[in-house]
Amino acid sequence: MIDSRLPMTVIGGYLGAGKTTLINRLLSAPHGQRLMVLVNDFGAINIDAELLHSADEDTLTLTNGCVCCTMGADLFMAIADVLDRNPRPDHLIVEASGIADPQKIANAAVAEPEMRFGGIVTVVDAGSYQSLFSDTLIGPQIRDQVACADLVLVSKTEEIPPAVALGLAADSRSAPVLLSDADHVAELLLLQPDPASKPQRGARAHPDYMHWHHSADIVLSREELARIVETRPPGLFRIKGFVRGRPGRGWLIQVVGQDVSITPADVPGDTHLVGIGLSAEVTVQDCEVWWRGAEQLSAAPAKAD
Amino acid sequence: MSKITVFKAKKIITQDPNTPVATHVAVQDGKILAVGDADCAQQWGAVARDDSLSHAVLMPGFVEGHAHMMAGAMWNYAYAGYHDRIDPDGRMWSGMTDIGEVISGLTEYAGSLEEDAPLIGWGFDPIFLPTERLNRHHLDEISTTRPIAIIYSNFHLMCVNSKALELAGYSRETNAEGVLKGPDGSPTGELQEMAAMFPVMRRLGIDFRSLAQQAPSIRTYGEVAKRAGVTTIADLFSTMEDSDLDVMLEVTGAPDFPVRIVPAQGAMGATPELIAARAKDLGTRSTDKLRLGAVKLMTDGSIQGWTARVKWPGYVGGQPNGIWNTVPDQIYALCEVMQREGVQMHIHVNGDEASEVAIDAIEAALRRAPGQGHRHVLQHCQMMGRDQFERCAELGICTNIFANHIWYFGDQHAEVTIGEDRALRMDACRAALDAGVHMTIHSDAPVTPLAPLFTAWCAVNRQTMRGRTLGAAQQITVEEALHAITLGAAYTLRLDDEIGSIETGKKADFAVLGEDPTAVDPMALKDVPVLGTVSGGQVHLL
Repeated sequence: MIDSRLPMTVIGGYLGAGKTTLINRLLSAPHGQRLMVLVNDFGAINIDAELLHSADEDTLTLTNGCVCCTMGADLFMAIADVLDRNPRPDHLIVEASGIADPQKIANAAVAEPEMRFGGIVTVVDAGSYQSLFSDTLIGPQIRDQVACADLVLVSKTEEIPPAVALGLAADSRSAPVLLSDADHVAELLLLQPDPASKPQRGARAHPDYMHWHHSADIVLSREELARIVETRPPGLFRIKGFVRGRPGRGWLIQVVGQDVSITPADVPGDTHLVGIGLSAEVTVQDCEVWWRGAEQLSAAPAKAD
Repeated sequence: MSKITVFKAKKIITQDPNTPVATHVAVQDGKILAVGDADCAQQWGAVARDDSLSHAVLMPGFVEGHAHMMAGAMWNYAYAGYHDRIDPDGRMWSGMTDIGEVISGLTEYAGSLEEDAPLIGWGFDPIFLPTERLNRHHLDEISTTRPIAIIYSNFHLMCVNSKALELAGYSRETNAEGVLKGPDGSPTGELQEMAAMFPVMRRLGIDFRSLAQQAPSIRTYGEVAKRAGVTTIADLFSTMEDSDLDVMLEVTGAPDFPVRIVPAQGAMGATPELIAARAKDLGTRSTDKLRLGAVKLMTDGSIQGWTARVKWPGYVGGQPNGIWNTVPDQIYALCEVMQREGVQMHIHVNGDEASEVAIDAIEAALRRAPGQGHRHVLQHCQMMGRDQFERCAELGICTNIFANHIWYFGDQHAEVTIGEDRALRMDACRAALDAGVHMTIHSDAPVTPLAPLFTAWCAVNRQTMRGRTLGAAQQITVEEALHAITLGAAYTLRLDDEIGSIETGKKADFAVLGEDPTAVDPMALKDVPVLGTVSGGQVHLL
C-alpha cells in the first residue's frame, strides 16, 4: 500500500521574505527524500560544496539525491517535465515568484491525478510584513498569499513581534512558525509516513512535533470518514493513512493543512493512520479523543477476540 | 554591379515626405535604389522592368509591433471563433455564431482527423454567445470516443468532452478548483485556469510553447503575415531556448522566407542581470530576417478579465482591482538593469495604474542610468490619458496602442468593465499623437486577427461591434493610421533606419494592395484588398 502520486508543495512569499533560505535548508536537511525544487533563479541558492554533485546552467544536482532546477518562462511545462522524469522525485517543491498566487500553482496538484497536494507554505519577513500588508499596490496580493497558506513561516526574527502575530492571526488559518525552525518544518512538509509500520523504538521525535499513530480494524464509509476528518483537532497538520471500507477495499486519506483528499484504494489489512502536528497546538491525547468519535461511528465494531 | 529591377505600380505611397507619392521603385540587392517615375534609376545604369505589380498600389511593408508566434501555431488546430477568419492557406473559416454552428463545424473538421486523434479547437469566446454555456454534452455530440478540447480565445479557459474528462481522471469525485460542476455534481466540461487545464493539456499533448517554436509553425507565421501585407512582425514574449534559436535561424534564413521576425524575450524566470545578459547574447545572433535582443516585461492582466490594475474609481461592477504578474519592485529592478545594459524593453500595460508604475520605473531607471535612444515601448496602453502620454514624450518612451480592442471589446468596456466615460478615451491614439509620442497600433494576434489595415480602420473610425462610435475625440486620420502601421511601428522596433518607408537605402519591403487606402472611404479602409508582399525585393503574391 503506497501512495504513488507525486506530492507538490508550493512556497510563496514576497521578494526577500526568505523563500530561498527555506529552500536551502530543505535541500540540505537529512530527510532522506529525493526532492526536486523548481526555482525562479539560482542567484541565492547556496549549496555546500561537499553536497554539490554537479551544476550546469539550469540544474544543480546534489549528492543526497535532490535536484534544483530553474523553471524558465513556463512553470506548468516545467511541472510536466518533472512528471515525465524517470525515476520521479519523491517530492516536488515549487518556489512561487514574489507576487504569484501560490494557490493557483498548488491547484495543479489537486487537479492532476498523478500528483498530490503537498501544502502551501508562505514565508513572511517579520520586519516588512506590516508595511507590505498595507501597501496600496500589492497589499491585497500579499494578504492572499498568507490567507491560502497551510503553514506560515516568519523569517528574520527569533520571536514573532506581537503586531505581526496579530496581523497574521487575522489573515491566516494556521499558527505562524519561525523560519529558524525550518529544519524541523521539513518534517511536517516532507514526511512520508508509512502508516503500516509501527513507530520505531528509540527513534526520538523532536519535542516541538507531535506524532500520532493509530491502528485498528475499524471500517468506515467514505461519508463517515469525510465527516470525521472535518472535525480533526486544529493543529493536526498532516494525516496519512489507509482506512478500511468494504472487504479488501477502502480509502487512502491525505491531509495537508486545510486540504483533505480521500481516494479509493486497496486496503487488504486494518486501518492505519499517522498524524503530525505542532506540539504547541495539538497533543496525542487530542488526537485520541477525536478518533474515539470515529470508532463510535464504525459500522463494524471491534471483534471481541 | 548586380541587377536593377524597376517595379511599376499604379501608385506608390512612400511615407517619405520628400517623395510622398511615386509610380516606380528601383530595387537592387533587396534594397531600394531609387523612387520616382519610370526613369528614377536612370543614373544607375541598365535596368530590368517588372510590370507584374502595375495594377497594384504599393505601400511600405506593414510592420506589426505586437503579435505572437502562436498566431501561426494555432492553425494546427480547428478555428472555433465567432468572427470569420482566414487561415494561412487562404481558406476562410466562417465564424461560429451559435453553439449549433460550433458543433456542426467541428464535426465536419473531425472528419479530417485520424480516428481517435484528439480534436483541439481554439478561438471560442463565450462573451459573444450569451446563451447557454458550452459544456461536455455539446462536445459529446461531436464524438464520445475522441478526446475534444476547445480552447477559449483568452487562453484561460477551455471546454472538453466526456472522453477528455475521463483521460484526465476528472469525475464527480474531483474536487479541484476550476473544474466546474453542474447541479448533478458531475463536471460540466468547462475548465478554468491553467491548473485545471493542465491535466488535459498534458494528456492531449497541447504545448503552445514548443508548438510555436516548431519549424512548420514559424513558416505558418510567415504565411499569416504575408496575407496581411506584413513584412516585419514582432513575437512579444518569446521563450526561445538555444535549440529553438537554431530552428528559427534555419527557417527565417531560407531565401524565400517572406517576413522579418523580431522576438522579445520574456523577462521572467531569472535575475534581471541574467535576463539582460541573455538578451545581449541573443542580439549578437541577429540576422536580416531575425532581429533579437529586446525583452518583454509583464505587469498587470487584462481589462476584460478584470485583472488589469486600474486607478480610482476602479471597475464599474465593483470588482476588486486586478493583479500584478510582476511585482512593482521587480518592474523597477528590471527597468534599471535593462536601461543600464542598453536592452530595449517592451512592457505590457493594460490598466492605467500599470502604465503609471511602468512610466515611474523607467523614469527612475533613467535617473540612475541616463541615456537617450532607449526606445522602451509601453504595450497596449489602453487606459493611458493625456497626462501619461505627456510623460512618455518627456522620457522618450514609445507607445503601442491596442486599437483593435475598440471594435472587439469596446461595448463591453463601456457597459461592464471601466464604464462609459473612460471607455470613450480608451486606446487614445489622438492623445498620444498630440502629446508628440512615437506611437503605433497593434492586433496582439492571435488574440485578434493580424490585419494592420483593420487595426488602422479601428483607430480611424473607433467603431464597436454594435456599431457605435466610441470616443470620436480620439479618432486619428487615415494618413496618421497608415504612418502608425509602417514607420511608426518600425520606430518602436528600432528598425526605422531600414524599413517603414519606401525611400532610397531601405529594404525593398512592400505591401501590395488592390486599392488606394488614401482614396477609399475611411469606413472602407479595412476592406482594401491585400494582394501580397514584396520582401527584400522578392515578390510574394497570394
